[in-house]
Formats: sequence, C-alpha cells, structure tokens
Amino acid sequence: MAVNYNAEPILTVEGLKQYFKVSSSFTVKAVENVSFKIYPGETYGLVGESGSGKSTIGRSVIRLYNPTAGKIRFDGTDISGKLSREANQSLRTQMQMIFQDPMASLNPRKKVEDIIGEGLDIHHMCRNAREREEKIQAILKKVGLAPEHASRYPHQFSGGQRQRVGIARALIMNPKLIIADECISALDVSIQAQVVNLMKDIQQETGTAYLFIAHDLSMVKYISDRIGVLHLGHLLETGTTEEIFEHPIHPYTRSLLSAIPAPNPIVEKGRVAESYDYKTSGIDYGKGTEHLVEGTHYVKCTDEEFARWTGAAGLDASSAQE
Amino acid sequence: MAEAKEKILEIRDLDIVFQTTAGPVHAIRGVDLDLYKGETVAVVGESGSGKSVTMKAAMGILASNARVTRGTIQFGYHHGDGTPERVDILTKDKKWIRRHINGKRIAMVFQDPMTSLDPTMTIGKQIMEGMIWHYKTPKKEAWDKAVRLLKEVGIEEPEKRMKNYPHQLSGGMRQRVVIAIALSCNPDLLICDEPTTALDVTIQAKIIELIRRIQKERGISVIYITHDLGVVAKVADYVNVMYAGKIVEKGSINEIFYDPRHPYTWGLLSAMPDLDTDDDRLYTIPGSPPNLLHEKTGDAFAPRNRYALEIDDKAEPPMFKISDTHYAATWLLDPRAPKVEMPQELKERIARMRKEAQDHGSKL
Repeated sequence: MAVNYNAEPILTVEGLKQYFKVSSSFTVKAVENVSFKIYPGETYGLVGESGSGKSTIGRSVIRLYNPTAGKIRFDGTDISGKLSREANQSLRTQMQMIFQDPMASLNPRKKVEDIIGEGLDIHHMCRNAREREEKIQAILKKVGLAPEHASRYPHQFSGGQRQRVGIARALIMNPKLIIADECISALDVSIQAQVVNLMKDIQQETGTAYLFIAHDLSMVKYISDRIGVLHLGHLLETGTTEEIFEHPIHPYTRSLLSAIPAPNPIVEKGRVAESYDYKTSGIDYGKGTEHLVEGTHYVKCTDEEFARWTGAAGLDASSAQE
Repeated sequence: MAEAKEKILEIRDLDIVFQTTAGPVHAIRGVDLDLYKGETVAVVGESGSGKSVTMKAAMGILASNARVTRGTIQFGYHHGDGTPERVDILTKDKKWIRRHINGKRIAMVFQDPMTSLDPTMTIGKQIMEGMIWHYKTPKKEAWDKAVRLLKEVGIEEPEKRMKNYPHQLSGGMRQRVVIAIALSCNPDLLICDEPTTALDVTIQAKIIELIRRIQKERGISVIYITHDLGVVAKVADYVNVMYAGKIVEKGSINEIFYDPRHPYTWGLLSAMPDLDTDDDRLYTIPGSPPNLLHEKTGDAFAPRNRYALEIDDKAEPPMFKISDTHYAATWLLDPRAPKVEMPQELKERIARMRKEAQDHGSKL
C-alpha cells in the first residue's frame, strides 16, 4: 500500500476558510486558513476536539457547504467556486462520504439494495436491472455482508453491519476519495477494529484515498499515513504519523497525545495528562505561519514560538517517550 | 488494614429478565459483584452486555418491564448517628429507595450530561434540590454548599455559574455539574455510567482526574461502567468483564491487564490499538454481540471464540479460580482442557507493558 508521493495529489486544499454568519454582528469562523494535500491511495487523518472544525472541513471539501475563501482542487479540477456541470458530475461520483451515525444516515424506509444503489440510479451507471443487482451483490460481498441482506431494512442490522452498509454505499461509485467523518465513533470497541480492518483492506484493493476524521487518536494513528491536528479552526501541526507521535511540537498536540489513557494500569495510575488552555497559553493562532520541522512535518506558530518549542522539544520528546 | 475493609455493595446471583413484545430477554444471568469502601470497581463490556442494567438494579431504577427473577443486592451504609445498616435493595419498594438510597447514599453520573440535566432549571437549583429534599437543608446553607461543590469540581466563578442554565455551559462543564449534583448529599457510593464517552479526550482526562481526586479526598467507593480499557487502567482497582449478562472474568486491575485468562478479555485487550502497535491489522473479535432474545446453551461467547472447545456448546463454564481475587469463566481453565496460549500479538504487547511498568519502578 505504498503511497506515491510524487504523483499529483488527489485533493489539494489551499487557504480554506469557512465562516458561518449567525447574525449581522456575529460570524462563526469555523475554519481559518487551512491547507493540506491528499495523495492517491493515502489516508489523511484529521484530529481535534469537538468544535475544532474537522467535520466542517470534510463537508466543505465535498461541497455540502460553499467555502468562504480558498481553493479546493480535486483530481485536477477546481471545485471551490461555482461548479460546472462536469465538475459537479465528477465530484458527486468520485468523492463519497461515510457518516458517523449509521442509523441516522441510512433512510429507514428504504431497503439496503436501494440505499446502496441510489448513486447508481441517479448517475445512470447501469444499463439494466441485472447489472445493477450484480454490482450491489459484489459490493455487499466486499464489505462482508451476505446476499440476502440486500432486501432488508436498516433497522434489521446491528451497528457494525449498518456501518458496513454505509461503506458499501460509498464504495459502489468507485470513488477516488472517501471522507470518513467519525465513522467508527458510534461503534463498540470490538466492532471498531472490524470496520477499520475492512477499510484498510478496501484501500489496498481499490487504491482509494481516505480523509479520516476522528477524535480517537489511537485509531487515527493506526489507520493514517499522515495526520493533521486541528484546534479552533486552525491546522496547528501536520506530518506523517511517526513525526506527529514521536516528536509532537505544538503544546496542543502534546496535550492531546498525553490525554489518551494507555491500557497499562501501573504506568497510567501515576501519570497526569498535560493540560493546555488556549486562553492562558499566550499563543495567538492567527499570527502563526507554517514552519517546517523536518520532512513533511509542519507546525503553525510564530518564529519566536518555533524557536522556543523546538529548542525544548529534543529534551521533552525523549522524556515523553519513556 | 485488610481485615477492616468494609463491604459497601454485595450483589449475589442477580438474574433479570425483560418482558418485550418479541419475548423475554434474559439480560442478566447470575451476576456476582463485591465492592469495598474506598475502592473503585470497573465493569467492562460491549453495549448490551448488561453493565448498565446491573447498576440500575442497584439503584432501583429498572425499567417497568424488567423482572428480577433471582438474587440479592446487599447495600451497607451508616445512619446519621453512625449505626451501621444493611439492606437488600431488591426487597424494598420504590418509594423507600427514593427516600433513603437514590441520590442520598448512591449517586449516579450518566453518560450524556445534556440529557441528564434539566434544561429548564438553573444549575444552582439542580444542585440544591437533592440537599433540600433529603436533608431539609435551609436554602441559604444549601446555596453555600452548592457554591463550594462547584468550586470543588473545578468550575471557576461558581457564584455566577449558579444562575446559569445547562445550555450555557460546555460539555465538560456540564459533566462537572452532574458530578457536583451527585456529590451534593455526600453519597457512600458513586456509580459512573460511561461518564466520559460523550466527551473529548482532553476533557475526558480532566474529568477522570477529577473523579479520582474526589474519591481520594472523600473516601467514597466508585463503580465505573465503561468500554474504554484505557480509562479502566487509569481509575480501577478491580475489573469485572461482562459478556451477554454474565461476568466472565474478574480480578484486580493488574491481573486483568497483565495476566488475562478469558478469550473475550484477550479480544478486548488486543482489539484496542495502543500507541505502540505497529501490526498491519488489528486483532478483532469476530461476529457481533449476541442477541439475548435467543438463549443459547453452553457458553454465550462460544460462537465468537476461536478457542472454543466442544464442551462450550453443551455446558456453561463455571467460574474457575486462578488466585484469591482472580476468577474466569472459561472451559480453557479446566484441568482437562488442552493447553491454549493467548494470541501472540497480545503476548508481545503484555511483555511490552510489563517492561514499561518496570521502567516506571514497579516490580511485577
């Protein structure tokens, strides 16, 4: 599953801003100047606490929202402005989304085959009913559901199975990019592992790229090639999974990493998580610019902060590693 | 001080059936649980394993279609003058439980702070409500105590916050308020039902540290219901692993994490990616949790157990004793069973955990 980083990125987001006007005097700045790239066959993890804008980015990219500013290029075409007919067509087929709550995102009055086949019908991708059924059966098999499941309704499935239906619905269009918005958060631990393994297998088979949005860092670490850390709409730190986990630079990333409880009681009992408060930290995200740490590892901060954090990072990183 | 350990809660052979339109659901099948003063017990399991139902039975707040068919729940507490008292909660009526147990001696923190707080009442009023009702505390005194409680759970400017409504607070703050309400009547036992599942990791860490601190300061007992083993590692002294309405393995925290015996516990431990996992695939427990509508003879976990023996389909395994505190219900522990080792990945991980623990200066 080697990702080709020399290839043209499948998705390029540059200076994306997403504002929501609540009233004449108040605007929510949900996403502020975010830039990142996703390469074909890659998994890019987007992490951050609730309200950090990670879902908003996913929704702006797939154009459920109209971006306030910034450029989004997908598969060579610009999709940030008004969409042309062709751009819209390519976007709606080549980019798909898996949602968080499988019960809420599946139409309860439709059978699974119609939920999965809806995209095929809308885009007239099948010549006849036979072909449609064959495609649906193939996709059901791929996600580990039985053929007889096709004629059932969503409520007849367990949570894990429902999420498989959600994945099948996204896959049937053969997308180049799948946006997975917290797609495993609502599932049980043992089922989470099943779904994540399935997503990895599918990626290996079809070479699709994932934008994996989650707040569970241990799962993100496991599935992602590269990670972006978001807080209050700013992309604070981005890099490969190793770079972020081995040498976190930004204090927010460090607090996020230290907050994950490790399943090791003796170590965990004595450990106190690093705390971070934006208000008292004295950091102004708006002033920060991108600084290269090494390789693909970037941090958003001012020059002075960068010198301070990287100067101390050598020491802290080694002590944080135990 | 081992002999002076005072038992707070003793659940014996609890058995609960839900009458549903689809037929009876045997949700709890013979649960035993002990809790001593000042200790923390974690109950771990997937959704539908019956962990919340067990605790609701202890609180006397079961749904109306639930029927307790067997068992006792002994709860020990002290009267205001210090005389000890033991009651079987299951024999008492709802009114008595309301008067003497709920909120006063056993308090509960629920999963979602938005639905467990009353949106039409200020938080100050909600904190004072219990004190005024149970102890007839004068209003002024209750107000002062509520302010103190808010401060204790780490809310700044408590006087101002008293007049706020739940929607004016963030998720983490709301959960702090819920904890303040739970503590308002000085309970002996705090039941936390997935208190951090709806919260972010950073806030989760803070809430857990808060519960731990309060427990230490007040010396109360805590039951922690969760499916997150990382949280369990942080808070618990003893762990009960539940599956399909039964406790399948129980032991001290170190026994469960460093020497698990039940295949289900193996599965749970290895399905969770720790930050050092480099394997390409996660270990999974195949299949999904059982539907308790259809009762199965033998071990309920057998269909998902790759180490299942033939006997697992015929007879339910008893609790095998491994040490004084460590028990597991699996036929693999029977002397006649073939020797089965835990999966290799888990073995490596435990070795790694032990090493890490040793680096932290503990001898294991």
